[in-house]
Amino acid sequence: MKESKDRYLPNEIRDAYLFILPMLLFAVVFILLPVLGTLVTSLFREVTFLPSRFSGLDNYLRLTTDRHFWQSVRFTLLFVGVSVAAELFLGVILALILNESIPGRGFVRVAVLVPWAIPIAVSARMWELIFNFDYGVVNFLVQQLGLAGAPLNWLGSATGAFCAIVISDVWKTTPFMTIILLAGLAAIPQDLYKQAMVDGTTFLQRFFYITLPLLRPVLVVALLFRTIDAVRIFDLIYVLTGGGPGGGTTSLSLYAFKYYTSGDFGYGSAISLIVFLIAGLLAVFYVRFTGFREAVK
Amino acid sequence: MREEQVKKILKLTGVAFLLLFCLLPFMWVVVVSLVKEPDFLLPQVAFDVTFDNYSDVLTSGSLHLFEYLRNSLVVSAVAALAATLFASLAAYAITRLKFPGRLLIPLVLLAFSMFPQISIVGYLFKMMIGLGWINTHAGLIFPYITLGLPLALWIMLSYFSEISTELDRAALVDGATRIQVLHKIILPLAAPGALSATLLVFIYSFNEFLFAMMLTTDYRARTIPVGIALFEGLHGQIPWGHLMAVAVISVVPVILLAAVFQRKIIRGLLQGAIKG
Amino acid sequence: MIGWAQIVPVKVKTFPLIPNETKRRLIFGMKSTTLYLLVMLAVSLTGCADHEKKMTFWIGGAPQEVDYWEALVNEFERTSGITVDLIRQPSSTDQRKQGLVISLEAEQPDPDVFLMDIVWLQQFFQSGWLQPLDPFFGTDGFSIASFFKDVVDTVDRFAGHYYALPVFLDIGLLYYRKDLLKKYGYSGPPRTWPELLQQASEVQAGERSDNPGFNGFLWQGAQYEGLVCTFLEFTASNGGGIMQDGHVRLNRGANAVALGFMQDLIRKYGISPLNTYTDMREEEVRRAFQRGDALFERNWLYAWNLHQGDGSAVKGKIGMTALPHFGEGHPVAALGGWHIGISRHSDMPAKAWELVRFILSHASQKKLVLNLGWYPGRSDIYTDPDVVTKMPYAGLLQEIFSRAVTRPNLPYYDQVSDVIQRTVNGCLAGKQPPAESLRRMQSEIDHIAGIYAK
Repeated sequence: MKESKDRYLPNEIRDAYLFILPMLLFAVVFILLPVLGTLVTSLFREVTFLPSRFSGLDNYLRLTTDRHFWQSVRFTLLFVGVSVAAELFLGVILALILNESIPGRGFVRVAVLVPWAIPIAVSARMWELIFNFDYGVVNFLVQQLGLAGAPLNWLGSATGAFCAIVISDVWKTTPFMTIILLAGLAAIPQDLYKQAMVDGTTFLQRFFYITLPLLRPVLVVALLFRTIDAVRIFDLIYVLTGGGPGGGTTSLSLYAFKYYTSGDFGYGSAISLIVFLIAGLLAVFYVRFTGFREAVK
Repeated sequence: MREEQVKKILKLTGVAFLLLFCLLPFMWVVVVSLVKEPDFLLPQVAFDVTFDNYSDVLTSGSLHLFEYLRNSLVVSAVAALAATLFASLAAYAITRLKFPGRLLIPLVLLAFSMFPQISIVGYLFKMMIGLGWINTHAGLIFPYITLGLPLALWIMLSYFSEISTELDRAALVDGATRIQVLHKIILPLAAPGALSATLLVFIYSFNEFLFAMMLTTDYRARTIPVGIALFEGLHGQIPWGHLMAVAVISVVPVILLAAVFQRKIIRGLLQGAIKG
Repeated sequence: MIGWAQIVPVKVKTFPLIPNETKRRLIFGMKSTTLYLLVMLAVSLTGCADHEKKMTFWIGGAPQEVDYWEALVNEFERTSGITVDLIRQPSSTDQRKQGLVISLEAEQPDPDVFLMDIVWLQQFFQSGWLQPLDPFFGTDGFSIASFFKDVVDTVDRFAGHYYALPVFLDIGLLYYRKDLLKKYGYSGPPRTWPELLQQASEVQAGERSDNPGFNGFLWQGAQYEGLVCTFLEFTASNGGGIMQDGHVRLNRGANAVALGFMQDLIRKYGISPLNTYTDMREEEVRRAFQRGDALFERNWLYAWNLHQGDGSAVKGKIGMTALPHFGEGHPVAALGGWHIGISRHSDMPAKAWELVRFILSHASQKKLVLNLGWYPGRSDIYTDPDVVTKMPYAGLLQEIFSRAVTRPNLPYYDQVSDVIQRTVNGCLAGKQPPAESLRRMQSEIDHIAGIYAK
């Protein structure tokens, strides 16, 4: 893929760099620089009520014995696993169903975009109402349908809050997944299915031997994006539970934010770096082991 | 035959489920915003339709709803236009010029877009203090441009790469500069893509939360998502009617955009994701 | 029928050359958009006209509190001619602190004046976020002596200056049912914990035949900030406490006895319900007592007006007094409340002081008591005839305020509180015995102190 050097024209190179300069400048100043700055800050004891001093890996060592940190790690990973799996499952099913012709497609498209278009903060307050102990629809339905005797304390219990968060997140992101998977499905030539049906295969056989393998590139890309997004989750949790009953639903990003806003910048930076590392590791893992490279090609 | 019928039923159920799934929660919001008592489902509570919630929140100056909307619209619009502009410039270079790093740069931008915002915002906060941009529009516009660049870039790349370089050659032979080629020929042809990119970056910036929380302090520069997250009501704890009215008002811009431009948006999303 | 694939083409078609007319329009569109964009950028870069100097006052979110502040600020604007932008923060204490920390760290000119929870004070002082107030004291007859000396000297002073002043104070009290004590032949409320135990046990046994949900003594034991106050009260009333000589010293015999007693109230004597450590916070305790389901209640001042309000089952049947103590100790109360300060980066400190002085004036603080039912930081209010007639307990309160104990005065208090909350709650739940709990807390807090050592 590398171009031979002697084919570069100096004029062209100069022009090219001028064209990409604004974009690169922004990216370097507002993304790369801050991340490096966070890394450096994490090596300092930087607290608002104390003089700053270099502390090396102290902040990271502190993380190892910090029970709340590990609680956040467990929560974040659990959330990522459950949420992404649910979105994938639902997304695939919906995409399969919608791959056939549907009536009122314009309206359906807008409907599908609604969860994606609404700001997470707004949708979080919406779910806050729906799961509310006194006024929530869910408790109302649960009692009407006789599923439980008394109203459930969704946002006040650890498992309830976790469920509420997963449901809210799945609501927001499944439509997006569905669209992506649909486009992937659309790229599969119908002839393959026709041939398979003539050969007398069942739906499930067609699904596992034709659909899934050909959908794989799209699936892998969508999965990567969704996983990274889920790891850095902040908005939903801040607004819906504020970290949950007793810190039970505090994601890593929220945990770092709490330290930033209590004035301990060094520690907050260290936690942020860990989030960065986890996201990075996941990305590398994906690229290596799920055939991402082939998918891109 | 039977499989056909089963398929049809599944299809209709699927569509119905999808519609309910996507719209029901928000429809609930609209209903609550138009009612006096949020627990009207209980038999003993009356179902009183009223527009009071809306008139209350729209006329209350201390809620600063209009300021939040103004800030969101200004910041998102400027960021979207600028991001598309810069992305177009870069996309032009990448698709038409040969230079070292040509294939690497889009991938680098892609990687940047996956950085967790929390690892950016901490130090960015300090930078903004130094620049004096805390609680200003500029303090949000510049980071939002940057966050929108990867998305805009990939969209413009896919549109530009479909446009034949013959057009370029013809124009250059006639004596046009590269900027003129971009400006007068390529961009008009890729206008749908530019529109897609602008829309997507607009919606992304409109919905952004973490940066807005840390880089602004009051209604002078705060955006809608933060306003809604911290909404406590005019008097008393979480008046749900008022809150839902504010929610509806705040999503009107994005829902309108989504409804009018749904084709473009979906195409843009696919461009960004599939090519990625 | 057209399928999804045709609606959303995966591959983008190459667009044919467009006619000149459309091209010209498109180009014009792009030109004007670019122009607009540049103008917007220019506008935002020069900073909006919005940033003219304004005095902003950040307050909290409880409903009647907001009404009180609005009325007060309006009066201030009328009498002084200074405009004040009253900004209401979310009611959650954590969110209020987050907002303040961001603004103060960013050295913003706003807020000029703001309220702070008593436990934030040390951190705010040591982070250099507040203006020293003593330079303003000499003006217009303002005297620091009007305030509770113990309070202002303990929590509002730092490095020889006063950086904040108390607006309203809160303390923990014992509420009791006069009617029930009379019914069971007791002459008055208990003075010591053993007395309380005895009275509560007997009354609870008696009342349970009619009201199986009746409890002897309700208090806040859930895992939250309030538990630290409760813990402080029990331990200090035995001569123990959290701090000693400026350091956290939890590992004391007196504390072990007190914590053991807290645990026993629930698990051994049963006069406090099992959900004390899972659910009981201020409101849960207040509601239960107000329904008539308890003999004693430990709660803050705010509960009094509510208990005596219409619709309360205990109206006219209650009294309040200082919390009991152990034989060796004396009555104590945890000190809460909110203080006011001026930002170091305020662009109008002199005018800000005008507002602060107005808020802390005798007249305004009197309104605080009479209108809101909250208790001011000024001690001279408590002997004011109007106040005494309306609030018969004013004298008692003044006395208790001067014997109030504070939570640790540390800039990293949040983390200390977290350790205490968790561990004490765990002890109440039976997870580990008192002595072990104290040992653990001490070692964890020492670790934190080491991290933040100067």
